[in-house]
Amino acid sequence: MKALVFSDEPKNAREIITYLRGKMDIDAVSQEDKELVEYGADTVYFYRDGFVDNLSKFLADHIVKNKYDLVFISSTNLGRELAGLLSFKLKMKCMPEIFYLENKGKNITKRFFHGGKTVVEEESNLRMFTVSPGICDAEKADKKSEVRNVSLEKSIYKIINVKSKETAGTDIRNAKVIVSIGRGLGSQENIEKVMPLVETLHAEISGSRPVCLDYKWLSEDKQVGLSGKKVRPDFYIALGISGQIQHIAGIRGSKTIIAINKDKSAPIFEECDYGIVGDLFTVVPELVEKLKK
Amino acid sequence: MDIAVLVKQTVDMDQIKLNDENEPIMDNLPLKMDILSKNAVEAAVQLKEKYGGKVTGIIFGTERSTSTMKEAYAMGVDEGTVIKGYKKSDPMVTAGVIAEELRKAKYDIIILGDQSSDSYSGLMAGLIASELEINVITNAINIEIKDNTADITVESENEDVTVETDLPAVVSVAQEINEPRLPKVMQIMMAGKKNINIVDGNPKYEDDTKIISDKAPDSQRKKIIYEDGKGIDEIAKILKVVK
Repeated sequence: MKALVFSDEPKNAREIITYLRGKMDIDAVSQEDKELVEYGADTVYFYRDGFVDNLSKFLADHIVKNKYDLVFISSTNLGRELAGLLSFKLKMKCMPEIFYLENKGKNITKRFFHGGKTVVEEESNLRMFTVSPGICDAEKADKKSEVRNVSLEKSIYKIINVKSKETAGTDIRNAKVIVSIGRGLGSQENIEKVMPLVETLHAEISGSRPVCLDYKWLSEDKQVGLSGKKVRPDFYIALGISGQIQHIAGIRGSKTIIAINKDKSAPIFEECDYGIVGDLFTVVPELVEKLKK
Repeated sequence: MDIAVLVKQTVDMDQIKLNDENEPIMDNLPLKMDILSKNAVEAAVQLKEKYGGKVTGIIFGTERSTSTMKEAYAMGVDEGTVIKGYKKSDPMVTAGVIAEELRKAKYDIIILGDQSSDSYSGLMAGLIASELEINVITNAINIEIKDNTADITVESENEDVTVETDLPAVVSVAQEINEPRLPKVMQIMMAGKKNINIVDGNPKYEDDTKIISDKAPDSQRKKIIYEDGKGIDEIAKILKVVK
């Protein structure tokens, strides 16, 4: 069995290669990333200035020429565009957003459905997949990959402006401890009141969809959930987060979930390991004090 | 300019209940316009208001989809077609049916939501662009039309990138692009009287994908809940390991 992995985000490519390693032979196509050669792929192909048009052309030819049995595309903006284009071009139907794969003659896959409320397990002969980011923790392999640089055709799309965004701190997907805030915090000013907990635990801060998108208390790259980032920390501490299904789907990979919320009926208490029903503005300072001792 | 907007109708997912087997009960759920479809309709109507032209709404659904089309009318969509025959989520089949409808007229821009809120597949823009052999840009947060081109700003993790593309093009929009308007009562009433073009779709479901199970994942969590001021010592003890 021979598979091709594509991701414009090397981090996702590392995860997918780790996940598939040992089950099949793997080649990968990615933006240049020095580390990617250490994850056990046979050959990694690096490209520059990739757009949906020149990449889809390259990938279509490459997939046909190398007779890959399976194609895994990381679910990013560009990845989803490519999956759509390649499905028709190669007459390969795509199974979207998988986070589990088992090959038993047919492919058994799992993905979220109904907005994260359910997991649907399916059996198919499909050969193309988009892979939900965070399918596993990337781990290096003993084997080094062969590297080839690919030159793409000139794109018909033109970049006319790039504006960098202010993003504070590191990628929350790599965090070991996350303190996450929800609407229950009440206001942006109140973030200050939970910062001692964030600092004491050397944690990263994240937030629910309303906090990041609607109220903009935190930048968007800190949004956890099905439509935001899927995180897998050792500890996920949810402060004033009710736990809508959309959010829960983004934290299922966490080892331990701790919730503090004053509403006893909040759904987060059905999805946590430890919970405190109480006012977070009283509980958090007490907790910080105990931790400092 | 001629603008097409692709609208998706979904069940109200917040109202899905589970049976004893943890499976979703899908009967008699209310239907509504999908969240990002509202942003797509708003973006289409704003383009019309800024550059002139006409907005055509297209829904692949069932007889019951006319309510969502009326909602789109109330927001400013000029005319709409409901294609009947939708049976299940299958992006490639849906794209085929919608592309067939889109070929009947000439559109300068085709707008849709980036990912739908049920499966988050996000394949539709690429699939339709591929069928129609036109350009595609996804996750747009701003659209500026020039003569035969558009400058489209796309949101990514660390930067906003503005890309120039030829038209026609398929453009999917992110939630951040706008705040969908709430139609006034008068507009809702007017929308109710407007004609909706209803056609039979010809979906070819030939999929051999078999659903093994569809249920809410079991929570393996410990669910130890403290009340009445208790639990802080215990949680501090658990968190000590990270210090």
